[in-house]
Amino acid sequence: MKITLLKSFLLVGALLCFGLVGAQTVSGNVSDANGPLPGATVVIKGTSVGSSADFDGNYSISAKAGDVLLFSFVGYTGQEVTVGSSDTINVVLIPGNELDEVVLTGYGSQREKEITSAVVAVSEKDFNKGNVNDASQLLQGKVAGLQIYNKGGNPNSGATIRLRGLSTIGANSSPLVVIDGVIGASLANVDPSDIASINVLKDASAAAIYGSRGSSGVILVTTKSGAGVQGKPKFNYNAQFTTADILNQIDLMSPDEFIAAGGRDLGSKTDWIDEVTRQGQTKVHNIAVQGGAGDTNYRISTNYRDVEGILLNSGFEQFNTRLNFSTRTLNDKLKIDFTTSYTKRDQQNGFNEALRYATLYNPTAPVYGADAPYAFNSATYGGYFETLGLFDSYNPVSIIRQNINDGNKVEFNHSTNFTYNFSENFTGYFRAAEQLSRYSNRLYYRTTSLWNGRADSPTRKGSASFFNDEFRFKLYEGYGTYAKSFDRLAMTVTAGYSFQQQNYMSHSFTLGDFPNDDMDYINAIEYSQDLKNAGLIGASSDKSPDEKIIAYFGRLNMTFDDSIFLNASLRREGSTKLGDGNQWGLFPAVSLGADLNKYLELEGVNQLKARASYGVTGNLPSGSGLSQEIRTYAWAGGDATGGSTALARAANPDLKWEEKAEMNFGIDFNMDRFSATLDLYEQTSKDFIINRQVDATVYGFNRRWENAGELSSKGVELALNYDVLQGDKLSYNTGIVLSKNKSVLESYVAESDRFGNLGAPGQNDTYVIRVKEGEEIGQIWGPVWDGTITNGSQNFVDVNGDGNLVTNQGSWNAEDADFAVLGKGTPDFELGWSNQLSFGKWEVNAFFRGAFGHSLVNTFRAFYEPRVGSQKSYNYVNTELANPDIKNAQFSSLYVEKADFFKLDNLTIARSLDVSNSKIFDSMQLSLNVQNAFVLTNYTGTDPEPALFDSNDGNPLASGIERRNSYYSSRQFTIGLNINF
Amino acid sequence: MKNIYKIFFGLGLVGLTYSCTDLEEELVGDLQSDFAIEGIASSSSGDAGDALTGAFNAVRNAGTANHGGYFSVQSVSSDEMAVTQKGGDWYDGGIWLEMHRHTFSSNNGPINGTWIQQYEQIAQVNNVITNGNLDAGQLAQARVVRAYLHWRLMDMFGRIKIVATGESTAQRTRTDAFNWIESEILASVANLGGNDVKYRINKYAAHGLLAKLYLNAEVYTGTARWADAAFHADFVIENGPYRLSDSSVKVTNLGRRPSVSTDPVELSGYAAVFAPNNENNPEIIWSVEYDEATAGGMNFNQMTLHYASQYSWNFQDQPWNGYSALEEFYNSYENGDARKTANFIVGAQLDYGGNALVDLASDNADPAINYVPNINELEPNANRIGGARLGKFSFQQFGRPDMDNDFPIIRLGDMYLIRAEATARAAGNWALALPDVNTIRARAGVAAMTSITADQFLAERGREMFQEASRRTDLIRFNKWGASWWEKTNSDAYRTVMPIPAEQIQVSGGTLTQNPGYN
Repeated sequence: MKITLLKSFLLVGALLCFGLVGAQTVSGNVSDANGPLPGATVVIKGTSVGSSADFDGNYSISAKAGDVLLFSFVGYTGQEVTVGSSDTINVVLIPGNELDEVVLTGYGSQREKEITSAVVAVSEKDFNKGNVNDASQLLQGKVAGLQIYNKGGNPNSGATIRLRGLSTIGANSSPLVVIDGVIGASLANVDPSDIASINVLKDASAAAIYGSRGSSGVILVTTKSGAGVQGKPKFNYNAQFTTADILNQIDLMSPDEFIAAGGRDLGSKTDWIDEVTRQGQTKVHNIAVQGGAGDTNYRISTNYRDVEGILLNSGFEQFNTRLNFSTRTLNDKLKIDFTTSYTKRDQQNGFNEALRYATLYNPTAPVYGADAPYAFNSATYGGYFETLGLFDSYNPVSIIRQNINDGNKVEFNHSTNFTYNFSENFTGYFRAAEQLSRYSNRLYYRTTSLWNGRADSPTRKGSASFFNDEFRFKLYEGYGTYAKSFDRLAMTVTAGYSFQQQNYMSHSFTLGDFPNDDMDYINAIEYSQDLKNAGLIGASSDKSPDEKIIAYFGRLNMTFDDSIFLNASLRREGSTKLGDGNQWGLFPAVSLGADLNKYLELEGVNQLKARASYGVTGNLPSGSGLSQEIRTYAWAGGDATGGSTALARAANPDLKWEEKAEMNFGIDFNMDRFSATLDLYEQTSKDFIINRQVDATVYGFNRRWENAGELSSKGVELALNYDVLQGDKLSYNTGIVLSKNKSVLESYVAESDRFGNLGAPGQNDTYVIRVKEGEEIGQIWGPVWDGTITNGSQNFVDVNGDGNLVTNQGSWNAEDADFAVLGKGTPDFELGWSNQLSFGKWEVNAFFRGAFGHSLVNTFRAFYEPRVGSQKSYNYVNTELANPDIKNAQFSSLYVEKADFFKLDNLTIARSLDVSNSKIFDSMQLSLNVQNAFVLTNYTGTDPEPALFDSNDGNPLASGIERRNSYYSSRQFTIGLNINF
Repeated sequence: MKNIYKIFFGLGLVGLTYSCTDLEEELVGDLQSDFAIEGIASSSSGDAGDALTGAFNAVRNAGTANHGGYFSVQSVSSDEMAVTQKGGDWYDGGIWLEMHRHTFSSNNGPINGTWIQQYEQIAQVNNVITNGNLDAGQLAQARVVRAYLHWRLMDMFGRIKIVATGESTAQRTRTDAFNWIESEILASVANLGGNDVKYRINKYAAHGLLAKLYLNAEVYTGTARWADAAFHADFVIENGPYRLSDSSVKVTNLGRRPSVSTDPVELSGYAAVFAPNNENNPEIIWSVEYDEATAGGMNFNQMTLHYASQYSWNFQDQPWNGYSALEEFYNSYENGDARKTANFIVGAQLDYGGNALVDLASDNADPAINYVPNINELEPNANRIGGARLGKFSFQQFGRPDMDNDFPIIRLGDMYLIRAEATARAAGNWALALPDVNTIRARAGVAAMTSITADQFLAERGREMFQEASRRTDLIRFNKWGASWWEKTNSDAYRTVMPIPAEQIQVSGGTLTQNPGYN
């Protein structure tokens, strides 16, 4: 046997082989006792060759005599049928057992019961519903251990996705996205309505086959295909209309309160938040057609989204199209799948700063200069009023209405997959894929805008910036699978090669001093007066080298006695980012599982699987040439020509792979109506790579990339599901996912460090987040207010009781400092609770979500709540926590708030309409959805969702700060119509 | 059938061969060290575009005239100026309060920044020395620049590292560092020219640096070198092609508001030394070149002026209202002293059109902006208009955040005062300082002194050298650093050297130890 195996390996490697057996098209119908099962899958056992049933339950698949077809459907026991002489195989599935469902894993698939790692599959019926414009939102709260947070409601900002806490600091902390097998694909280029299912590979043993890019977990997305449809094409049309309104706004002083508090009365009453926001309306249309004949099938979809944010002039209009095409040839031995998608998005980014200034602008100031209480030259400011001569004070309506911040994004990708059945046991795969994404941004500050447009300056009025970037990615992969069954042993061996290359390029320029705004700035840059003085034009460009990853990988799956499962994989991967000698890393994984119930035979239990896994993955930060130095260029000054270079990053030829090792223990328990999955894990990231401070006397510069520490993360995840009612007329299912995670900084470049500078005005060098070796990350750190006030200043607690109060920021880590941990930025515990109730033609989905144990630094309060004398012309934040006796701004425990929340995140009520008499329609459904229906929290800022990183600089160690330019979150109502015909 | 195999095989081959296993990465979008040499060579033309550009850019980038680094530490820790906390503004974690009150810790950000700035720029100079193919004269200049940057460090931190080829990287005693700096300059003098080149080092600049070094030798090493200081200052005064910028030296006043009649058309004398168009001033021996577009890094306008003062000069950006002079220091100038009007901005402020500037958040009932010398308190609620503003490096109309004025490192006025002080101290007779002191006073338009004490001399030196990052060093030499002034109480002697930044000790891997007194 060994020799046969070895030979097969050689054959895989050379991509050569012999032996052909004639294939045939097998078709039939998949149903249950009540009728057809649309979407049921059919797979040739041991391969990833598969198909799925159409709306009427019909399928067709190319197979040959002797192939074993595996039929499965969510909630049903799978069935195996061996292909004989007949071309027709009809199957009736029996509800209850999900264990034979086929689950996609990296470079292959397995039956669910064979899975020995932490893998979660979420199918379309479990997705979040309503106004979902970003594919990641489909999963929010659905998978234990997968954090998806999109603080605020900015339609143009993507969610932060993090699996099992923080596993890296300098490198990519978001999971790898794989769409239809294409590594590194962009979620932005798949419309949420085109997604059939999403699988999440949570632990390192599952992700290790993806090597370095899988270090933060892997999300496998499967798009809907045309498989199974024969003859007349099927259409699906989906339409949605959504309204969005501000959910929560910061409590401010009313004009009267402001005047009473000593504010300067400018004679008007303006609700600035109201002036810069609106009810956002969103319209969505999706239309898809799927069809096929014989071995060829297709699905084409077209999606249109017109999304308005609640901030004026923010939103986007997006057009997306996708084609999935599949065919077979060469006696059905070669299967070709082709996928392409194209997305064009015109976005209005707006200016979040308008919300910040709306918070602090004088509530008695008028919107327009004509209403000014004193002589005011409105024309200079485009008709708007401005409080001139104040620090950091700009009319928010002028900001958002006068200026332009528009972007345009184009994403295109295509992928071709060849699958060839060389023999009964051996299948070869080859994949070629490319992605291209371009973004261009245009920013224009009008000559009459005080904010950034220099309206008050007699020179250099107006400013235009243009930014373009382009990202390209290429992927070539080839691998082979050899499957063989023996008496009680079944095994699959996979081996392959992967080549990835990416390039990035950008350029921008900024120039200003326009005569006026009458011309369209886009074709008026030649009138910029800056051209007379070229030194005033800002320009930059950037081009990355060809960043390559080359990898060889292999995997062995063994199943013994259909109850003991072993999976092992190895990947050797090289990256161009590291220096000679350190480029290659080796990433092994092994996992073992056993269905104990096979031996225990517990009453009513379908499965009791215990599993254990260990895996190692690598990780690298996103920059280029990390081990090399970089220099900047500076002019000599004045009229002199020439210049000089200066170090901007020191070289580190010894830089090596950051490695993460993870152990996972899990139990899967299944009864007919109840299932539970428990996972415990512990992961350690060694030698994590950060751009750290180094000795300038040695390296000539104070920063370079180094392997500089160790991070560990432990957690527990529990998922429970129970079919409470299973009647024909009435059914109710409820599911809960719980996760708990703790990330500890085991070692670091310094014993402790601090991040998250609050900033101007007045709170520079005020770092509110501390990390300390051996302690949990994300500690909010500062002096503790004792509740009393002297002379307008807070009094602080003598934390260490030494009778000596040391609370200045410079002493933050001194032995005698009176600083304390005031909270932490990451939640202890997260909860998702889904409920599905159907009765007759009605269906109700209610999804609750909560996070507990985290705090936020409410910077709105830290800056604008103290009744600072010099702030008489800014409004005061006036929450229930405000203390009017505090007259100067100093960060303390007073501005750190617990941000626990529990919310009804998503409520959908849907009703199917009776179309049984219609000749045209197959089905029709109307739905009503509410997002953010209610939120229970004591947090007084804009949004209690955790801030997993500092939005100012992206630092993942500085979690827990709600910055002042936050977009406000919204409550959304959606009505939807879904028609199949 | 065979064809299909070929296709499939071909596809596989494409995948495999495309790849090879080449993982070389060329940083096409970034500059690297080889460029540093080629780039210099290819753009070499004329005086300022030569291989030394990197060395002299280094001084500009070492915190000489911007917020948060060398200038700020050297000045805010003295009795010249302070950054007061104005309610919600400028508390900044207390770093500027502790700087002024001498309660700074080894975690103080600006102190750490100063350290990093100097050493990074020393590395740039070393790069020029190693890779620049310098001739003997250029090498001499680069070595003096490097010695000067080390001098700043030694003056501030005492026990520093010397970073130069062939030198031990161990932390030095202050005396060792002094000796090395002295030897570097002495070894270079012979190869330096004598022409008046403001942005490069000639032999007069080197002698001027030696004079400053020896003047403080007693502080640095315990051994006074008064005669040496006097000798080198005298050499510059007597032999160099320089003269004091007196009333005959006139430049156009680029800050003038046409509708404000009190704005002079020209700046002359002392004021001309620091004007935006001071590049040819006859008093300047070595200066750091600043340019609003191509050589940024001087930001006094932003640092000191009230937000609304933007409209007096039509600045492109709003100032920050941070730094102001202490009242006592301002009052040490007599009326009629040309330096008083040149160094400070006080009184009612007018915009470009001559209208009063207003502060809508003013502390007083009267919103008009009127800079008053008095500051009510250092913290927490200092008046927004309190304190005379730093006006020595005067502003130009339509200025950008980066200013055009050059910053003199060595100038003749300083040389007169060094010769005066060193001569007097060498002889133990302050009266010997009078001739040079009176030369300086005459240029400022104030009466000659007939007698002088050490304290009076320090005050005179303060008036002349305000805002030139000299005051901390001077106070220490006169034993006044630890004294109390305004809201600053007595401070311990160990604070005459700054703490080695805690972060630097941390990253040094045990090669740096803290100065006595600090933890």
